[in-house]
Amino acid sequence: MKRLALTLLATMALPGIAHAQATDTASADVGVAGSVAKLCMLGTPTPAPVDLGQMANTSGTRVGKIAAISDRTVTLPGSFCNFAGSAITVTATALVADDASPVEPGFAKAVNYTAAVTNWAPGPAAVTTNATAAGGSPTNSATGPTQPAPKVADLDVTLSNFTAPSDNLLTAGAYSGLVVVKLGPVASGGD
Amino acid sequence: MKTSFLAVAAVLAATAALPAAAQNATGTVAVNGSVADRCQFTLPSDVINAGELSQQGAGSNAGKLDPSKLDGQSRTLQGWCNGTAATMSVEAQRLVNTTFTTTPPTGFDRVVNYDATATANSANATDTSVTDGAGTSVPVGMFTGDVKVTLSNSSSPTAGLLVAGDYSGQVLVTLTPAVTPAP
Repeated sequence: MKRLALTLLATMALPGIAHAQATDTASADVGVAGSVAKLCMLGTPTPAPVDLGQMANTSGTRVGKIAAISDRTVTLPGSFCNFAGSAITVTATALVADDASPVEPGFAKAVNYTAAVTNWAPGPAAVTTNATAAGGSPTNSATGPTQPAPKVADLDVTLSNFTAPSDNLLTAGAYSGLVVVKLGPVASGGD
Repeated sequence: MKTSFLAVAAVLAATAALPAAAQNATGTVAVNGSVADRCQFTLPSDVINAGELSQQGAGSNAGKLDPSKLDGQSRTLQGWCNGTAATMSVEAQRLVNTTFTTTPPTGFDRVVNYDATATANSANATDTSVTDGAGTSVPVGMFTGDVKVTLSNSSSPTAGLLVAGDYSGQVLVTLTPAVTPAP
C-alpha cells in the first residue's frame, strides 16, 4: 500500500509544474540609427549664359543709348533644401564693358539690372545693381525671406530693368555680368 | 572441543535469524522533476549606426536615400531555446526622423523602411517595416548560439528627398517556447 500511495502523489503533482513554467518568451532588439545632414542643391541654370545681344539703340531718338531690353528668365530646376529655415542670397554684378580704358563724359560702360529669384520663399530675393558710368561698384547682394519648411522647387531667376548709369551713351564693346544664387541655412546668411 | 563449540553457536545463530527474514518490506520514493520550455537571449541587444543615410554629391539622386547604408547591415545576438517546438519572429520598425516630426512637404520623406531577417538554427524569420507588427513566426527548435539580424531592401515611401535630422528605428526578435500541454 505504501508504494502505491507514493506513485499517485507524483502523478497528481506533475500537471501543475507543467502549467507554471511553460511560457518563457525571450525578446531582443537591434537598434537601427542613422542621420541625414542638412543639404541644399541648386539645379543647373537653364538657359545659361544669357546673351542680351545688342544693348544700344542703333537708330531713332535714343540712338547710342540703351535700348528696351526684354526680361530674361533663367530656371534652376529641382532646387531643394531638406530642412526648415533656408533662404536665398542673390548677388548681381552689373554688365561692364571689358574695355579698361577710361570713360568719356556722357558715356557709360556699365548696364545695371535687377535680378530676382522667385518660387522659394513667400517673397523674392531681389537685388538691383548700381554701377557707376565707369563701371565702379558693380556688385550688390541681397537675401530673400526665409523658407520655413523643406522645399523642392524650380527657381526662376528673372533679369529685368536694364538701365545705363545716367542714361548715358553706351561705349562700344563686349559687356559681361554675373548673377550668383546661393541657397542655404538662414543662420549662415544663405551660404 | 573448540570445534564442537563453534558449530553449536552457528546453529543457534541461524535459527534465531530465520523469523526476521520472512517479514522484509520494500519502500520506494519516486523522484520526479521537469524542465519547462524556455528561450533566452544571452546577448539581447546591439545597435546598427548607419551614419549618413542620404546620397551625397551633386547627382540626380543627391539627397535621396542611399540604400547601401542599410542593406546588408547585420548584427549577431546570442540566445537559446530548450524545446523542439520553439518559434522565432522578427519585427522591423521603420526609421523615423526624430528631429523633424511634422508631415514633410511634397517631394520629401521622413521615414525609411527596410526588411529585417533573423536567422537562428538555419531558420529565417523576416518582416518588413512597411506594415506594422511582427512577421510570421517560424519554427526554430532547440538551439543555442547565434541569432543573426540582417537588414535589406531599404526604401523611402515616395523615393523622395530625405528631410535632414536624426533617424531611429529598431528590430525586435522574439523567441517563443512552445506551451507544454497538460498531461
